[in-house]
Amino acid sequence: MSSRKDFTKDKAFLIDMTKCTGCRGCQVACKQWNQLDAEKTEFFSGEGYQNPPAMSEKTFTRIKFRDYQKNGQNEFAFYKEMCMHCNEPACASVCPVGAFEKTAEGPVIYKADRCIGCRFCMIACPFGIPKYEWSKAFPLVKKCTGCYSRVKEGMKPACATTCPTAISYGPRDEMIKEAERRLTDYPDRYIHKVYGKDQAGGTSVIYLTSLPFDELGFKPVTMRPLPGYTWQALRLVPAAFLTVGGGLSAISWINHRKDRLKQEREEAEAAQQPNETKED
Amino acid sequence: MTNHWNDIQHADVILCIGSNPAENHPISFKYVERAMDNGATLISVDPRYTRTSSKSDLYAQLRPGTDIAFIGGLINHVLQGNLIQRDYVVDYTNASFIIDDGYDFNEGIFSGYTAETFSYAKDSWKYRTDQEGKALRDPTLQDPRCVYQLLKKHYSRYTPEMVCEITGTAIQDYMAVARVFCATGRPDKAATIMYAMGTTQHTYGTQNVRSYAMLQLLLGNIGIAGGGINALRGEANVQGSTDYALLYHILPGYLPVPDFNHVDFATYLDQATPKSNDPDSANWWSNLPKYATSLLKAYWGEHATADNNYGYDYLAKKSGNYSFIKLMERLQAGGFEGLFCMGTNPVVGGPDANAIAGGLDQLKWMVAADLWETETSIFWKRPGVDPKTIATEVFLLPAASSVEKQGSISNSGRWVQWRYQAVEPPGEAESDAFIVDQMFKRIKALYEKGGVFPEPIVNLSWNYGKGHEPDIEKVARECNGQFTRDVEIKGTLYKKGQQVPSFAFLRDDGSTLAGNWLYCGSYPEAGNMMQRRGLEDPTGLEMYHNWAWCWPVNRRILYNRASVDPGGKPLNPKKTVIAWNALSKKWEGDVPDGPWAPMNEAGGKHPFIMLPEGFGRLFAAGLADGPMPEHYEPMESPVSNMMSRQQTNPAVAVLGKLCNSDKFPYVGTTYRVSEHWQAGAMTRNLPWLVELVPDMFVEISEQLADWKGLKNGDMVTVSTDRGSIEARALVTSRIKPLRVSGRMIEQVGLPWHFGYAGLAKGGSANVLTMAVGCANTTIPEYKAFLCNIEKGGKLA
Amino acid sequence: MTAARYVVNEIKGYHRFVKFLIALVAIAAVASLARFVFGLGPTTNLNDTYPWGLWISFDVVTAVPLAAGAFTLGAIVHCFHIKKLEPLVRPAIVTGFLGYSLVCIGLVLDLGQPHKGWHVLRYWNPHSPMFEVSMCVMAYTTVLFLEFLSPVAEKFGWHVPMRVLRWLEMPLVILAAAISTLHQSSLGTFFLIVVDKLHNLWYNPLLPLLFWVSAICAGMCIIILEATASHKWMGQPNEGVLLRTLAKVLPWTLGLYIGLRTFSLLALVEGPFFDRPGLTIAFFLEFGVGFVLPCIMFTQKSVREDDRRRAIAASLVIFGLVLNRFNVSMIGMMNPRHIYLPSIIETLVTLGIIAAHILFFVLIAKYFPIFEHHPETVDYTIPDSFHKLDGGPSVEVKAASHGG
Ligand SMILES: Nc1nc2c(c(=O)[nH]1)N[C@H]1C(S)=C(S)[C@@H](COP(=O)(O)OP(=O)(O)OC[C@H]3O[C@@H](n4cnc5c(=O)[nH]c(N)nc54)[C@H](O)[C@@H]3O)O[C@H]1N2
Ligand SMILES: Nc1nc2c(c(=O)[nH]1)N[C@H]1C(S)=C(S)[C@@H](COP(=O)(O)OP(=O)(O)OC[C@H]3O[C@@H](n4cnc5c(=O)[nH]c(N)nc54)[C@H](O)[C@@H]3O)O[C@H]1N2
Ligand code: SF4
Ligand code: SF4
Ligand code: SF4
Ligand code: SF4
Ligand code: SF4
Ligand SMILES: [Mo]
Repeated sequence: MSSRKDFTKDKAFLIDMTKCTGCRGCQVACKQWNQLDAEKTEFFSGEGYQNPPAMSEKTFTRIKFRDYQKNGQNEFAFYKEMCMHCNEPACASVCPVGAFEKTAEGPVIYKADRCIGCRFCMIACPFGIPKYEWSKAFPLVKKCTGCYSRVKEGMKPACATTCPTAISYGPRDEMIKEAERRLTDYPDRYIHKVYGKDQAGGTSVIYLTSLPFDELGFKPVTMRPLPGYTWQALRLVPAAFLTVGGGLSAISWINHRKDRLKQEREEAEAAQQPNETKED
Repeated sequence: MTNHWNDIQHADVILCIGSNPAENHPISFKYVERAMDNGATLISVDPRYTRTSSKSDLYAQLRPGTDIAFIGGLINHVLQGNLIQRDYVVDYTNASFIIDDGYDFNEGIFSGYTAETFSYAKDSWKYRTDQEGKALRDPTLQDPRCVYQLLKKHYSRYTPEMVCEITGTAIQDYMAVARVFCATGRPDKAATIMYAMGTTQHTYGTQNVRSYAMLQLLLGNIGIAGGGINALRGEANVQGSTDYALLYHILPGYLPVPDFNHVDFATYLDQATPKSNDPDSANWWSNLPKYATSLLKAYWGEHATADNNYGYDYLAKKSGNYSFIKLMERLQAGGFEGLFCMGTNPVVGGPDANAIAGGLDQLKWMVAADLWETETSIFWKRPGVDPKTIATEVFLLPAASSVEKQGSISNSGRWVQWRYQAVEPPGEAESDAFIVDQMFKRIKALYEKGGVFPEPIVNLSWNYGKGHEPDIEKVARECNGQFTRDVEIKGTLYKKGQQVPSFAFLRDDGSTLAGNWLYCGSYPEAGNMMQRRGLEDPTGLEMYHNWAWCWPVNRRILYNRASVDPGGKPLNPKKTVIAWNALSKKWEGDVPDGPWAPMNEAGGKHPFIMLPEGFGRLFAAGLADGPMPEHYEPMESPVSNMMSRQQTNPAVAVLGKLCNSDKFPYVGTTYRVSEHWQAGAMTRNLPWLVELVPDMFVEISEQLADWKGLKNGDMVTVSTDRGSIEARALVTSRIKPLRVSGRMIEQVGLPWHFGYAGLAKGGSANVLTMAVGCANTTIPEYKAFLCNIEKGGKLA
Repeated sequence: MTAARYVVNEIKGYHRFVKFLIALVAIAAVASLARFVFGLGPTTNLNDTYPWGLWISFDVVTAVPLAAGAFTLGAIVHCFHIKKLEPLVRPAIVTGFLGYSLVCIGLVLDLGQPHKGWHVLRYWNPHSPMFEVSMCVMAYTTVLFLEFLSPVAEKFGWHVPMRVLRWLEMPLVILAAAISTLHQSSLGTFFLIVVDKLHNLWYNPLLPLLFWVSAICAGMCIIILEATASHKWMGQPNEGVLLRTLAKVLPWTLGLYIGLRTFSLLALVEGPFFDRPGLTIAFFLEFGVGFVLPCIMFTQKSVREDDRRRAIAASLVIFGLVLNRFNVSMIGMMNPRHIYLPSIIETLVTLGIIAAHILFFVLIAKYFPIFEHHPETVDYTIPDSFHKLDGGPSVEVKAASHGG
């Protein structure tokens, strides 16, 4: 894990859901770039034209559809789910072998050759992003790569390149500035929050929406970086080790000494009474 | 499109009516949203609440087939509220023209109608003229026989209440649209209309488009940045295909196809060339003889001479209607021995699809050139037929796809862009050019041995190199045009074989050839303009004149002479398309619609140069079904026409096989989804897209679902008298019943992408649709028909 | 007689129950094979919503604290010098060693890339509680193995190792306790990361401490149960007196746990607590029945002195601990609309692991001096033969260490 604190120049996505048309070009571009298999689907799984039913080892990003009536008005809204590329990723912090890495460019990448397959990353990710190759005997974890292979060559991620309207990609501070500019310039268009600015301690994917986050299916998450939650305990490990080890050593030394003294005393006493046997 | 994609961003109001660009033209939405970021209002008018509607500021639902009522009401709103852009209307449209006394309109019928033939004699639909034959005008617009007053009278019947009774639109939604859209009749405001198949696929589709154009003319929105009426063309190169005469009634460059009455070239030229008695009218089409002659020279080269009328006799003449519907009727009547299907899949895409499939059974042979095995090429093993009973011999030629060959592609905004080959075609696939080339060469070899009238074939000029396939650059050069001998024009000598610089240089004396006059200038001596990728933008309006090339003569906004006042000053200086520089006596900005000075200066011309009178037509005599759009009901409708006693378009013959609303109570419409392409071969074979939309479905309202006991995803049977299909019910609040003529009407929407071939299979919506078309274009009425829905599939 | 023959005959002689255990283990072996042949997805009910299931919740998260008796008792006996409990240490160590070995087997099954398990040693991530636990488990299993070697050496009369091990006893015990403290608590640290997923009833910053304290309680209770059971069913000596002593410690440790738990709920977490009836029930079963009730029971002399009641109270604690670990690692994170239930194969494997545990314990007890280990009776001297070899030390040593 990096101990980096400045994420302003990381590359970040600004995804403006009010501009998303739900065309799903991103979903297909992602599959194409990452050469992911299609899922077998039937009809639609979810509201509107939503498919597949969930993100998976074969689906790194998905448009969630919301299709309902609110105050007599149609709501047909979209939410692009993907890895948030957290500034301080929970997945990376819990991985025993450091298979996840927050790159300097921004994407959080996965080194398959390291992974032992414990799935702690899946448990830890507050956004439920890492998925598993359940069909395999020796499965690996799968998730959005942030198109690191493109980004490090100076290109934009496949989904961002394909998107006609909703996705901007650039340095995180600029994306946040742009998001905030939109909130000021179009006060009626948005709910006045930038999702991802502080969620999970800040992420490289930030969203603007017109509907409240929970209505769109965004996960409610803590504003603190997640690794801090475990680190507050883990940092005590050396101390705990020394305390327990040292404490017990001390205790046993004291007890031993007590015993030895007692024994010596007894032996001394026994010497004074040589006839006394111990077979009592 | 009068304008182009990038220009949409300059609109203040965008009306998407009869189109769903967010889904079907996704990239266009980049510009729609850019306009919205600049404060524009987006209006979506659609029977269904679509992904476009989801982004709109205003949404109005209307019943399929009622666009004329909807727009007629807006025209009425503009005229009653005096919201027109008056100077524009007076100076640039035919509002002030006085109409012949013979013209009349009564109970839905215009003067000159013959019921037996479903046709109009148009002699009364004309301007009153003076002795010189020049049209009479009343610039005060007061004359009761002037177009303006006739218009006002005609559309006074389209009151908001009446309109909403017909369209089913909630009146408050309607008035909101009227208020916003009709407020753009000012020089500093632009509104654009984006339309497509929801508009055209009706028995009065052309009149639908006309109504949009009229509204835009009244508001002064044609010719300006951010304005226009923009047909969102469909297939990637459909613009190119019509420019190059894919349609039966035109030759390349929209020259009319001669028919049997045009006994010789002179007659053809005489009848096809429009005349104007107004010296201030450019009447561009007066150049038609030059274009036609150059075309014939391109076809037959040195075999086209003044002596043989440039090969006019070689040219096929039409003797009737060869539209798709007519061809299919003839097919079903056993009228064809063989059929070539190159890049089309009519068994899924054509109306009354079962009947088309049945027609194919009667062929002796069929050739399909396609990327995939389509429903059409496997018609002989479609569900429900025994292949043994079909004797047709079918050849499937694997075709190279667009990325596997190079050539030009013309987008909706008329930009002609060069595409390079990215990969080699797989397996035995070959480009269409190769297929046509081989076909031609073999047919020619046969004709060289003799035959009836071999000259048109053996004399055809066909000089595209000796390569494996025709040299596409050579084809492009021929389309641009060349000098066939040394000519001196305005003091410059042009050598034989040299590229023609622009269509102004084309001649009717055989000294030039041009495969398509519109593309003159696309490949001049300087090289292939279509390959240009310059990003300079001196106008600041993202016209990018050095990016590719745009017909005509690289003009990015058509009718741009209407964007300036008669003195040549831009109507909206903030968005200057062109401006007259009085000092240099030159136009600046976009390539103007002709080099002439502005109207007020000597030699100035009226802005609508393609029309003989030079004025935008609010009253148009050219169409088959009336000079002004009038509301009729679709061929199949659950209600009677509330506007007049005339139920359907009087210029369209009523079909025998119509559904009645007792048995088939629901209004059906068909549409596209982002995830699939057309008849589906190109997307239903791609697992990634199949994943997104795997099954045929029908969108129905929550109310209808309740009534029918349907849950989301249930299997239903949708039927008409023409056939029935199975589909999954998609129950959604995005489609709603409409209050029409005092009762509730349910509508259902079906995507038309499915069929029985490919990876994802499903019922074809076109099994349900009927083969009846627009009075002018014969585009089938895919967008409105009656049907029934029952729970459970056929198999269930 | 061939060795195989010998084994078969030996097995034939076993008690029905032991044979039943062998059968369970065999079935589990086949089931584990299925996991490798068909993959995790088809053989388990794990999925992207529930990446961890029975194997992690029981075979790892629960098995580890259940094996805590070893270090607890080791510390009590050797550090706090409550020497009379020493006879219980060996069974506890065996239990611990078996427990941890089986945890490793469970992990091999559960890991997607078991062949890369050693990567933990190669790529260190000290920020990962799992890294920490893995390192500890490996270290501790080694320690337990060394400790377990004692009876083995004793059985085969390997005197030098025996002496070395006896000499290492103290450091090992201290190491064991320290390492155990770390990983027992770190198992709790695992779940500090699921801050938005785990229900308020269980999520709190004290999880590591709570895990540690409860593991100590459970470790002692397991010893009580084990000793009682092996006396009852295996004819081992009745250690009732010793267990009574142990039971006296329990109200204190349980009390500490209850106090910490109550504090964590009241002071460290904000509700809502009782918004999901299922979870509310699970909580009260766990906390009320599993911790508070036995704590009260252990304060009663009548319970402490009575073999049966003592065992019941201990079972309740075990129950409380198991439920607690399941609540934290599974139930408290469950989505009410999408419930996880282990598959047949997962269940069979887990049953097999439990069976293997008991089986090996029984067998080890049968063949090795586990319960007979009253250290005062063991000869830790090096036999004369050795003396001759290295001309070694005097006979006094012998005398000194012998009688004591
Ligand atoms: N993804 C995708 N994109 C495509 C295509 C494709 O197949 N898939 N096809 C391409 C082609 S060839 C074409 S022609 C274009 C067509 O593009 P569009 O015209 O946008 O396509 P449609 O979905 O057929 O129809 C548009 C809308 O018209 C509505 N509609 C139906 N009846 C009426 C009516 O009477 N009045 C009005 N106002 N609206 C009505 C429908 O509900 C629908 O939402 O799309 C092109 N783009
Ligand atoms: N109900 C209903 N029916 C409709 C419509 C509707 O809105 N509703 N819309 C209508 C409209 S607008 C249209 S444009 C038509 C379209 O109808 P079609 O043109 O028949 O449909 P497509 O699926 O586009 O067919 C194109 C075929 O060309 C193949 N192809 C692609 N590239 C190449 C190539 O380079 N060479 C060759 N040889 N083949 C190629 C594809 O695989 C595909 O099979 O359908 C019409 N039908
Ligand atoms: S969203 Fe999840 S998987 Fe992605 S970086 Fe953050 S913690 Fe890791
Ligand atoms: S499954 Fe792999 S990547 Fe995830 S935490 Fe375990 S070792 Fe790391
Ligand atoms: S960044 Fe790349 S991997 Fe991630 S969702 Fe976008 S296309 Fe897929
Ligand atoms: S490509 Fe862009 S507009 Fe289309 S669905 Fe994805 S995010 Fe939305
Ligand atoms: S599908 Fe292709 S042609 Fe259509 S908008 Fe997207 S990029 Fe353009
Ligand atoms: Mo089309």
